[in-house]
Amino acid sequence: MKIFWKRIKDELSQAWVVTLKDIKVYYLRPGMIMFGFLMPFFMFFSFSVRREMAAGEGMSRLLALTIFFTAAAAGPFIIPTERRLGTYDRLLAAPMSLFTLLLGKIAVGAFFAIVVSSIAAIVGILFLDAAIAHPALMIVGIFIGSFTFSTMGLIFGSIPTRNPGDVQMPSTLIRWVLLFVSGVFVPLSEMSTVARGISYISPLTYAQDLMNHAVLGTGELALWLNLSVLFLSGIIFLLPSIKLHKRGRVLGY
Amino acid sequence: MSHAIEVQNLTKIYPGSGEGFLAVDKINFTVDRGEIFGFLGPNGAGKSTTQRMLTTLLTPTEGQILVLGHDLAQNSYPAKRQIGLVPEESNVYTELTAWDNLMFTGRIYLMSKADRTARAEELLKDFGLWENKDVKAENFSKGMKRRLSIAMAIIHKPALLFLDEPTPGLDVQSTRAIQTLIRQLSAEGTTVFMTTHQIEEANQLCDRVAIINYGKIAAIDTPEKLKQTFQQVQSVEIAFTSSPEGLKEKLTTLPEVSTVLKIGDKWRLYTDSPPDLLPLLMRFSEKEKLDIVSLNTLAPSLEDVFLQITGQQVGSVSEGPSQQKADRRRKKGKQS
Ligand SMILES: Nc1ncnc2c1ncn2[C@@H]1O[C@H](COP(=O)(O)OP(=O)(O)O)[C@@H](O)[C@H]1O
Ligand SMILES: [Mg+2]
Repeated sequence: MKIFWKRIKDELSQAWVVTLKDIKVYYLRPGMIMFGFLMPFFMFFSFSVRREMAAGEGMSRLLALTIFFTAAAAGPFIIPTERRLGTYDRLLAAPMSLFTLLLGKIAVGAFFAIVVSSIAAIVGILFLDAAIAHPALMIVGIFIGSFTFSTMGLIFGSIPTRNPGDVQMPSTLIRWVLLFVSGVFVPLSEMSTVARGISYISPLTYAQDLMNHAVLGTGELALWLNLSVLFLSGIIFLLPSIKLHKRGRVLGY
Repeated sequence: MSHAIEVQNLTKIYPGSGEGFLAVDKINFTVDRGEIFGFLGPNGAGKSTTQRMLTTLLTPTEGQILVLGHDLAQNSYPAKRQIGLVPEESNVYTELTAWDNLMFTGRIYLMSKADRTARAEELLKDFGLWENKDVKAENFSKGMKRRLSIAMAIIHKPALLFLDEPTPGLDVQSTRAIQTLIRQLSAEGTTVFMTTHQIEEANQLCDRVAIINYGKIAAIDTPEKLKQTFQQVQSVEIAFTSSPEGLKEKLTTLPEVSTVLKIGDKWRLYTDSPPDLLPLLMRFSEKEKLDIVSLNTLAPSLEDVFLQITGQQVGSVSEGPSQQKADRRRKKGKQS
């Protein structure tokens, strides 16, 4: 039993070391800045300028966008890059479980997303006078959403390839599709029944609704539903990543 | 005590079109603790594929691997804790300093702070990188990066070190430094498994050598014994005062001579039987009115053995398997 806990402690510390290393190595990479840090703001401004919008509504939308884009950008960029450079082999051969390695990689994307969305929140509060209805819920939402979408990005990062370009295309495409079917630019309440039905497939819908609860104090869906869907999809998203990594080991990547 | 490595029936078929590509074909070997074991073969022979299976990076199609007594298919964790790996491209994190690269690796291998800082200092000093410890690795030369990569692989004092082609592309000094280092590690008790396509490197460094070709092990022995086994690849080296046109063709037509190579001002004639060739050469020189400057019989070099086994033209180590042979291997993969 003691050995078991020691091992858990070891693995957690290894995951943390991987996270710290990746933050240090990748935060300044153009690919990361472009797809991770600038993209959500670009999306926000290009689709929001023409509409009259209350500060709170804009705040809530920007938070959902930064969590979604930044968190999901890290995995598809970092892992294929490391495979190409050959440094991923060091991690795969190290004495830690695959789950630990993936946990470390998930935390990197989540970390970036938490930082970028916190900056967005601070700017919104200080300069746009956005009022936050439930600050604690906002923080919880940022954390849980960041981890969920980082896990989603990891699926693309796990595709066996040595070329980040191979993964960037499909992962960006999927993110755009999700973005437009989710209740981000068109609120759920204004959607047709069909569109609304489709939007329920996307976890981003629940993240947006959660942010509406936190910032505006009201949402279309139940709070517990938003939180549970995000939490569960974060866990379910892990399965394809594990499968794809095993496949990579067979294919020789 | 168990062997350092024990491999049985190890096979890798890369999935792909048709039945896939047979890269390693039912190989068996053992590596004893403390030895430097060389895995020698031309490009594409299956060296990296084998090493990647031994280090858990690649899932075998078939076969069993025991590393330091642990079955990798059962539980690779205890083996992983005791091995070090220098990958083929021996890559380091270029955005990090030499020091941070070592600290990262030390922490991944769960070393205490005191242990990893002491060990990193020792290694950086040993490897001539101490002055550059705070320089980002992107500014390092290829040789410095390779040395850093090896330092990272041994920071946790592994019992077994894997190196994939440790020296190609390096200058003479760096190559020497790395070879000295490998000997030193071995003297300190580390088992070394290294792949190489450089025959001389295997000859000078390794206690035992496995020659691998087209995914199969063709021979395993000490370099000296391998040479003895291949007495038929002996040669006679002869130099004449002049070398008129057409001399090579004439030498090639001599009975007993299999291949003729020009090496500087000398001719190397491969033969099964030097004693029979010598009188022939005497008569030849008289008939052609050529004076002999020197005449030597040579024992087979490891290169000769290697070329003989891998079926390559003497004197031309080809860069990889020909397409035709690769195709043939694909078919073979289908049958099995
Ligand atoms: N991931 C892969 N998928 C398919 N074929 C591969 C893969 N990796 C290597 N090969 C093929 O397997 C053979 C052996 O490769 P490798 O083990 O890298 O050779 P070596 O290291 O001896 O030069 C080569 O013909 C190579 O093209
Ligand atoms: Mg190789």
